[in-house]
Amino acid sequence: MANLDELSAAQIAAGVVAGAFSAVEVALASLDAIAAREGEVQALLEVSEELALAAAEATDAARAAGEKLGPLAGVPVAFKDNMQLIGTRTTCASRMLENYRSVFTATCVQRMLDAGATPIAKTNMDEFAFGSSTESSAFHPTHNPWDVTRVPGGSSGGSAAAVAAGEVSLALGSDTGGSIRQPASLCGVVGLKPTYGTVSRYGVVAFGSSLDQVGPFGRRVADVALAMNALTGAGRDPYDSTSQDCSVDHLTRLEDPIEGCRVGIVPALMEAPGLAPEVRAALDGACRVLEGQGARLVEVDLPNIASSIAAYYVIGPCEAFSNLARFDGTRYGYQEPGCADLATQTALSRAHGFGEEAKRRQLLGAYLLSSGVYDTYYLPAQKVRTLITADYVAAFERCDVLLMPDSPRTAWCFGEISDPTEMYAADMFTISSNIAGNGAISVPLGLGAVSGLPVSAQLQAPAFRDRRLLAFARALERGVDAGRGLGNGAPVAPAFAGRGGEL
Amino acid sequence: MSLTREDVAGIARYARIALSDDELTEMTAYLNDAVALLEPIREYDLEGVEPTFHPIGSLVNVMAADDAAADERALPLGIALENAPSRVGRSFRVPSILGDEGGAR
Repeated sequence: MANLDELSAAQIAAGVVAGAFSAVEVALASLDAIAAREGEVQALLEVSEELALAAAEATDAARAAGEKLGPLAGVPVAFKDNMQLIGTRTTCASRMLENYRSVFTATCVQRMLDAGATPIAKTNMDEFAFGSSTESSAFHPTHNPWDVTRVPGGSSGGSAAAVAAGEVSLALGSDTGGSIRQPASLCGVVGLKPTYGTVSRYGVVAFGSSLDQVGPFGRRVADVALAMNALTGAGRDPYDSTSQDCSVDHLTRLEDPIEGCRVGIVPALMEAPGLAPEVRAALDGACRVLEGQGARLVEVDLPNIASSIAAYYVIGPCEAFSNLARFDGTRYGYQEPGCADLATQTALSRAHGFGEEAKRRQLLGAYLLSSGVYDTYYLPAQKVRTLITADYVAAFERCDVLLMPDSPRTAWCFGEISDPTEMYAADMFTISSNIAGNGAISVPLGLGAVSGLPVSAQLQAPAFRDRRLLAFARALERGVDAGRGLGNGAPVAPAFAGRGGEL
Repeated sequence: MSLTREDVAGIARYARIALSDDELTEMTAYLNDAVALLEPIREYDLEGVEPTFHPIGSLVNVMAADDAAADERALPLGIALENAPSRVGRSFRVPSILGDEGGAR
């Protein structure tokens, strides 16, 4: 029959419903693909085989009993390891939480399971999501499936790599400054950061509470839309005060034509220093693809967007410092043994539990929130945020969607970027939509003409127009598919396609 | 005005992260680099601009009913203590808050 990695999530669910194969057979195929591929990718921190088989058996039993199956019936899914799932550890790729057992299940995870998904694994990440390469994981690096000498991006690098290597069909990640979109770009898969408030964060370890948003990775836009239906279909989550009711069907308008629509281009971003020429060339191709379907390009300006990185590296570290104060070695996490007093135990537990980047971000946040400094950076950053948000409002009066770069370059080699503040520039095009809260998606554009590695475009839409955003992403995918003759969305990285995973 | 080692040692004490000498050197260099990255924020004239603390302006706070018994999220005691590195009976166990003289460990 087919290899699991040739099938879309929708095809897998349809096959399980029709009885072409069972959910257990799909789960075993995914586990088999992991056995064959994971040694070189190292995308995962834990393979939840028992949970996977139990969930798949329950799906098959429900079918045998004549029950209606969910839209993700039997679809193998992986979850970033900052998402709680009973029966797994939730480590955030940190020594601090190396032995932490999930005591409840995150709403985003539960909703995927409620839709019939099979929980295959927890994925590697930058420690506590601080990073753009997954190199700050305390446990091991993850390798980019397109070139295993290179990073997968981050912080959700394991989720992107697991999908790109065909180990699973869908994965969830979280995005605070680009942590879904940038690894999606570097691994050649689709990655959506929905509008802030769209997906519940209950049970997801917090980094920047005014920035964090959970979203899906897939190899096709339609699979990402299918996952969004599972994540939002049950309405707002009463356990998350930021959660909004976004329960629209993300599939029904997916193929809507974009003829006559206005696609905004920000010249300053297209000319930005640091944007690789091969990425720029691919973006020009993306413009032609959308124009070819009848869309009209309009130039718009986001005058304050250049200050996004500065605003983010005030707001993000301050919120992280506040959120990570809970890791004090008392209720959970690493505890330094033999300390005479609590303050020493706390300071040493945090010193030895956290890695270097987690310490850097927290110290930066502690400094920025300290007396006398707050008024110099924190408050002005929140005012600059107002200006950036107003820029978006003005831009979206003149266009329906923005097309802009995602990652400024293709995947780099391990250790190539060792200066922490240089690494921060990896998020130069993605951060602004976390600042403003609107939805954004990375859409694969094939391989760069110079590097031969995946390149992508980023599309952004007004807040709470994520369904429309997906229709533009699908239009772009359609055009790219046609140009490359694939017709099947983004491919599994060739070095891994077809290895294990026979269904 | 750059941050000195002494400044950073004070920040680390406030953040409750014990730093080695080498780390203190590295963190001092880092914090000065990072703060330099933030300079654009200081170059704005922000007179009359309201801050945005939350990205979706129209959000209102959502309050749960103040009823502990009705909160199905409340963890059973055994589960709440399951991940505690040190515990005694139904409590998290910590060393004295007052140091050596403050009580038995």
